[in-house]
Amino acid sequence: MVLLDSESVVILRLRGPLELKCHADSTDVVLMQKAISRSFEDLRLQVKSESCVLAVCDSPVLIWPNKCVFEEITPDTPCEDVFQLIQTADQDPGGKRSTKKKNRKGLSASVINLSLMMEATKPGPLSAPVLARTIQTSHFLRATLPVDCAVRSGCSDTIKDGCGRLLEALTRQLFDMEKATLRHMRGATLLVPEPLHFLLPEPNGLVTVVFPRGVPDNELEAQRRELHGKFELPDDRPYFRRANAYHFPNEPYKDGYLRNPHVVLTHPALDNGKVFLVQGFYSYHHYMQDRVDDNGWGCAYRSLQTICSWFQQQGYVERCVPSHKEIQQALVDVGDKQTSFVGSRQWIGSIEVQAVLDHLLGVTSKILFVSQGSELASKGRELANHFLSEGTPIMIGGGVLAHTILGVAWSETTGEIRYLILDPHYTGAEDLQVITEKGWCGWKGPDFWDQTAYYNLCLPQRPRAI
Amino acid sequence: MGRSYIVEDDVEEYLSKLCSQPAGPVTGLLIGQSSAQRDFVVMATRTPQNDESAAAGTSEYKEWVSEHARQVSRMLPGGLSVLGVFIVSESDAKDTLTTLRQLVFSVENLISSEQLWTPAEDDVTDCVTLHINPKTRKTVCRTFDVKDPKSVAKPADWKYQSGVCSSWATVSCWLSIDLLVPLPDSTTCTSNMDDCLKEELKVWAQQIERGVCVIDGKKLPEDSEIKTGQKNVRQTYTAQLLIAPEVQTVTDVVQRCGGCVSVRGAIHSRAFLHSNKPKAKLAEKLLKRDIISTVATRVHMLLEEPSTQNEQNKGRKQTEQFCLPRRVFCPVKGTGSLSVCDYQFSDEGLSEMTDRFKEMLDMEAAEDDLDATQEMIAEVIESETTAEASTEKVEPLDPWRNNYVGVAMATAVALLASAASMLYLSDV
Repeated sequence: MVLLDSESVVILRLRGPLELKCHADSTDVVLMQKAISRSFEDLRLQVKSESCVLAVCDSPVLIWPNKCVFEEITPDTPCEDVFQLIQTADQDPGGKRSTKKKNRKGLSASVINLSLMMEATKPGPLSAPVLARTIQTSHFLRATLPVDCAVRSGCSDTIKDGCGRLLEALTRQLFDMEKATLRHMRGATLLVPEPLHFLLPEPNGLVTVVFPRGVPDNELEAQRRELHGKFELPDDRPYFRRANAYHFPNEPYKDGYLRNPHVVLTHPALDNGKVFLVQGFYSYHHYMQDRVDDNGWGCAYRSLQTICSWFQQQGYVERCVPSHKEIQQALVDVGDKQTSFVGSRQWIGSIEVQAVLDHLLGVTSKILFVSQGSELASKGRELANHFLSEGTPIMIGGGVLAHTILGVAWSETTGEIRYLILDPHYTGAEDLQVITEKGWCGWKGPDFWDQTAYYNLCLPQRPRAI
Repeated sequence: MGRSYIVEDDVEEYLSKLCSQPAGPVTGLLIGQSSAQRDFVVMATRTPQNDESAAAGTSEYKEWVSEHARQVSRMLPGGLSVLGVFIVSESDAKDTLTTLRQLVFSVENLISSEQLWTPAEDDVTDCVTLHINPKTRKTVCRTFDVKDPKSVAKPADWKYQSGVCSSWATVSCWLSIDLLVPLPDSTTCTSNMDDCLKEELKVWAQQIERGVCVIDGKKLPEDSEIKTGQKNVRQTYTAQLLIAPEVQTVTDVVQRCGGCVSVRGAIHSRAFLHSNKPKAKLAEKLLKRDIISTVATRVHMLLEEPSTQNEQNKGRKQTEQFCLPRRVFCPVKGTGSLSVCDYQFSDEGLSEMTDRFKEMLDMEAAEDDLDATQEMIAEVIESETTAEASTEKVEPLDPWRNNYVGVAMATAVALLASAASMLYLSDV
């Protein structure tokens, strides 16, 4: 799991639609492509022209990068100081602004969002408009390009440098978009090139790739393989599926679920101990969400949903997290339960979780059985190995309750062990502070488990694919 | 608590003059700017006599007055609009009130049917009606809310004052436009081009409305005040407008088409702000509306010209260029910085402008008074080569610029005498 060091990095993100309009004289494909290339060239000239403007969102700052005009700041202002001018939604509109956007410990870097605009006004006097009409059977192409560039900047880099790098990235992106458009043109259909950002392990960092919109991941494997080669990435785990796209820290998740609540916790420091955690991202699923009142019976379902969310967000599957009914239906479909099971409030256990993961997601799981809870204290090595090689959340259930294990802190020498538990029995709102302070997501000791009860653990295995 | 109209002394003079004419009842328009607190009337103009001299109250008469208002409205830069209607007649004020009411509603409906900009919540929707008895000089002023079909007459104050607009501010800019629209794939007739272009103008108008307005280099907060300066000191501001397309406009597509239409060039836009503590928000609103109106007006005017009608498509490629008329300004005497405008086609002379100012606005203007320097006439050059923006100084938003030369109007008239000049362009 790669997180940016929040103390020294600022991300400058430039977004803005650019309209591509192209009238191709004839119906000949080659000429059409030439016309498209010319239109892209026009756009590249536009962004290099003096009419190109970068506006820092939620602030009065306007920048004309190609004529070095900076409103409300000087070109040498360090990027981190730009935050002082940005009015965030949670600020008191009349009150004082905080001098620096507070970074919560462990969360990713700060982002400055900019919009791309064109200045339509010019110094005059100028020539009055001319209307030109061409009548000819031909083709017209019109697309709105969703330009989206992101560059990393040291906090002390000047805004002028940052903008210069953004414009370079923008020009490169327009070249990439041109290539993608031409590559994926199929007769009269046009696939809009869509940029996505991916946070790759160092030294690559934040990388932007243009994919044709609407083409499913499984048809883009060849392109992904090229990218894995280019960035020297292992070829057994996905980095470039759409679900792997980098999520910018200041954007709320549309679905409203919390992501990775465990990152704000302080991990236990055991003597000679090491911390082994879930890799990647998951959503916290718990009681009462989605207007389903499963208080008292749904804990294993919620743990299963958390696991499914992991597979979706790492890009292994495209299907979204299943509902209680869908989970129950899956069990009926594999013959494990009677049809009356659907709509009931019956508990499920690790074996059912394994079956559903297999049937709905195509994911295999290992089952680990302990005859009494006290034995869990000795499973440190196994759990650590699981998080190292698979990195998936573990569902643990037994005669009593179900929980999700997100990590383990274990000392090989002393045998001390702690478990990072995500508790699906929480019934409140998605309040990170409450969840972490009250221990709904927290580190627990071996006495957390019922020492005499038996437990089954479902350890989902990560598919080896890109 | 009715509205309060502050009226230029010159208007009183003008209305007096109309009273002393023996010609009988006179209808006309009142022009100015409304604001939340009070309204300003800066000009008045009688509706020209029509040939049939339709009697007051008939529907032809209503249409005639409304058409006059529509034409006048096109001649008013931003910030000035037709605020209402006056009648000078010896009839009883109560009788004329019904006529006046019908007139203001009809005028407002016709004018607003053309406008492409979105009305704002804080727009004043009251129109003024004025009745003057030429014998007694008694003035009755009432307002109607034209957004409410059931509205009743409300009394309003009508006060003459000197120097009402002497310290009004002006905001202006030159804005380039670059529209490209496909034509449907069928035997094209002009109505198709009209519709396509009008649809595209609506989309463009929304883009303008969403644009970020920068005044004198600063993006001012909405409620900050624009300084309008001391009396007789003209305050002018230059504005810049930053635009971006809508995130998802039409579905992205490659379509067969029967050709395309482009409108490229630049316009000069101007708006006037009253001097009673105007806000930046107002300046932005009025300027944007002027930008939208001036482009829409010219496109409509061009489409209304018979020479723009299409010949039958003979099955081969055919390209034509038409110049949109350019904007010419004329100062309004006695008002300091205010001006009205008109549009000059390439085959028209300045004398035609002065004639129209006289006919529509009852304004005496000499050719020397006219300001035709804000926009240059585009010269359309016949050439075989493609009009590609390939020279060192490239202005991609205005790629035709290198082919255009600002020429004296007389030369342009000669060149553009034939409206359908055939030009071969290999790509747009």
